[in-house]
Amino acid sequence: MDIFLEALLNIIDPVTLTYMVIGVGAGLMAGSIPGFTIAMAIVLTLPFTFSMPPAQGLATMISVLVGGLSGGLMSGILTGIPGTPSSVATTFDGFPMARAGEPGLALGIGVWSSFCGGIISAILLVLFAPQLAMVGLEFQPWDFFMLVMFALTVTASLAGEHLVKGLIAGAAGLFIRTVGEDDAVGVGRFDFGSDYLLTGFDFIAVLIGLFAFSQLLSDLRNPVTARNALSDRKQVKVKIEHRRAIGILFRNWTVVIRSALIGMFTGILPGAGGSIANILAYDQAKKAAKDDSKFGKGDPRGIIAPEASNNAVEGGALTPLMALGIPGDITAAIMLGALLMHDIVPGPTFIKDEPALAYSIYIAFFLASFIMIGMQSGVLRVFVLVTRIKTYILATVILTFATIGVFALHNSIEDIWTLFFFGILGFVMRQFGFPLAPMILGVVLGNIAELNLARALAIDSDPMLFFLRPWSLFFAIIAIFSMVFPIYQKHRDTGSLLERFFSPLVLLSISLPLFMMGGLLRTTLAFAAIAVSGFIMWRRFGKTKKG
Amino acid sequence: MLASFEIREPDYGVLSPAAWPRLIIIIIGGLSVIYLIQSFSTPKKDIAPTPKKTFKEFVLYWRNVIAVFLIFALYLLVLPYLGMLIGNILFSFILLTVLGGWNAIITHLVIALGASGGMWLLFTHVLEVFLPRGSLTGF
Repeated sequence: MDIFLEALLNIIDPVTLTYMVIGVGAGLMAGSIPGFTIAMAIVLTLPFTFSMPPAQGLATMISVLVGGLSGGLMSGILTGIPGTPSSVATTFDGFPMARAGEPGLALGIGVWSSFCGGIISAILLVLFAPQLAMVGLEFQPWDFFMLVMFALTVTASLAGEHLVKGLIAGAAGLFIRTVGEDDAVGVGRFDFGSDYLLTGFDFIAVLIGLFAFSQLLSDLRNPVTARNALSDRKQVKVKIEHRRAIGILFRNWTVVIRSALIGMFTGILPGAGGSIANILAYDQAKKAAKDDSKFGKGDPRGIIAPEASNNAVEGGALTPLMALGIPGDITAAIMLGALLMHDIVPGPTFIKDEPALAYSIYIAFFLASFIMIGMQSGVLRVFVLVTRIKTYILATVILTFATIGVFALHNSIEDIWTLFFFGILGFVMRQFGFPLAPMILGVVLGNIAELNLARALAIDSDPMLFFLRPWSLFFAIIAIFSMVFPIYQKHRDTGSLLERFFSPLVLLSISLPLFMMGGLLRTTLAFAAIAVSGFIMWRRFGKTKKG
Repeated sequence: MLASFEIREPDYGVLSPAAWPRLIIIIIGGLSVIYLIQSFSTPKKDIAPTPKKTFKEFVLYWRNVIAVFLIFALYLLVLPYLGMLIGNILFSFILLTVLGGWNAIITHLVIALGASGGMWLLFTHVLEVFLPRGSLTGF
């Protein structure tokens, strides 16, 4: 209770609250402007949080995040252009509803769905993170190493048919982190006699370069669109209809909960974020609807599903971060950067060792959702003003800001060169279709992977242990299947052997490490996996025989 | 890969400091070969379409990006001499004018002064971050 009070006092401190309000407002704005992603807003917030106490810094970043997740709906509903990839599906029904003369209701449904999604995922975060951390206490260096490999392969596999590019990007990210002194034995690598390279690239400068700088360059590429503003609207006379929206949400509570769960689960998976969750939730809402004829024409369920899911993603993404030290998506990876900046290394003992900070994160998450509701109406007016600013002006101001922010990290001009170099690299990679998410995850998790590899080999030099220890084997199996997944997706509905055997094989394979783990629950799960696998095979072969 | 052979081998520790980067380089090499083979067998639909007929067309297509690269590189080179306040004002003013045209030069100047000056004040006086002073300008 004392710890909870300490955390609460950390967050309700007037300075922290002020930063949170500014953070939510900045997030709402960043989320609402197409081309300026939430990750970019979070990464640009990092330098500000450097001088703050950890709880205050994280609360500010969480506020930007919650605001950003909700900001995308404003642009999506009012202009038909999604503010962020997380709100693409919101436009499917939000924009038609707004055009049909109900913009206030569409915004209301979006805002309250975001709120509900955020609150549900915050509750699940509080419940699940400590449980997952308890499981994480069983992990040894072999398991952590394989967990990082799994995080990278699953993120790369999200690139779909560009899996190889995703894997190259992930490996390149790991390599970037090897520059400088080796964490295990302190030997310099790839420094070429430079003192700056000996200390290694500052990974926050790398993140800002890869993500923010390269994004700004992409936004500016077209000289015509760079000089355009997002909208010519002088003003918008929309009053958010809170009461009607809440009534609709109550009537569609199953959609809210289902979508929030989809968002939470997607967030827990490394690399999968709101951009996937909102489409998945929309698709599920449509499939589950008795009458789906109004979808795409302004159906409220088409706004509830994506907005509840994309706000729930972050609760999911923060769960493995807080419990295992492995971020669930790019924004959580940047949060990890913020923690490392304050010399806090999250892992299975994080919640136990830093309970006040963990509670501060929970409280900030809840509080930010309430602040978001309060600020949405006010920000709507500012949003209209911001959308009238030309893209090149916004981009230049943000670039200038990023430059000062990066310098402020270590008072080093070399960090700005790092920003520049990785900005160019990120831009070139974008142009050639390389996904940046695996690279960013590689940069963030690179030293964790290497340190655990070194520790594992120091304990026992037998490399086979990576495939003989239950958790390590479990992660290795799902890493391999995650790499095969894009090929499986390509062969769906073709009746190929891969399509028929993929799911049963996954289940059969994971039953082996589950058996090795022992205990009643895991043995039961292993038997259940075998039973389900057998059932799927029986059904598929039964169908083939009948056919 | 060659640089990885210049990494010092200490007498302690089980994992050589060169082992991990070398393993990554080998993986990147293997993946690059697969990518190369793939690129010959599949159409390049994911690569942004760019006119590559002549050098002039190439420059015209990428002119904004090239302008940002050049102006940013120049800014970084003169930053130690001009300092962050003057450097940022000049950088944002020149970049705004190059990207947005000479018609709105006054607006660009006001934005450059307001944004760069505002940020300088915020970082220097509110966040108490020491920003670099120029050896020529003194601030």
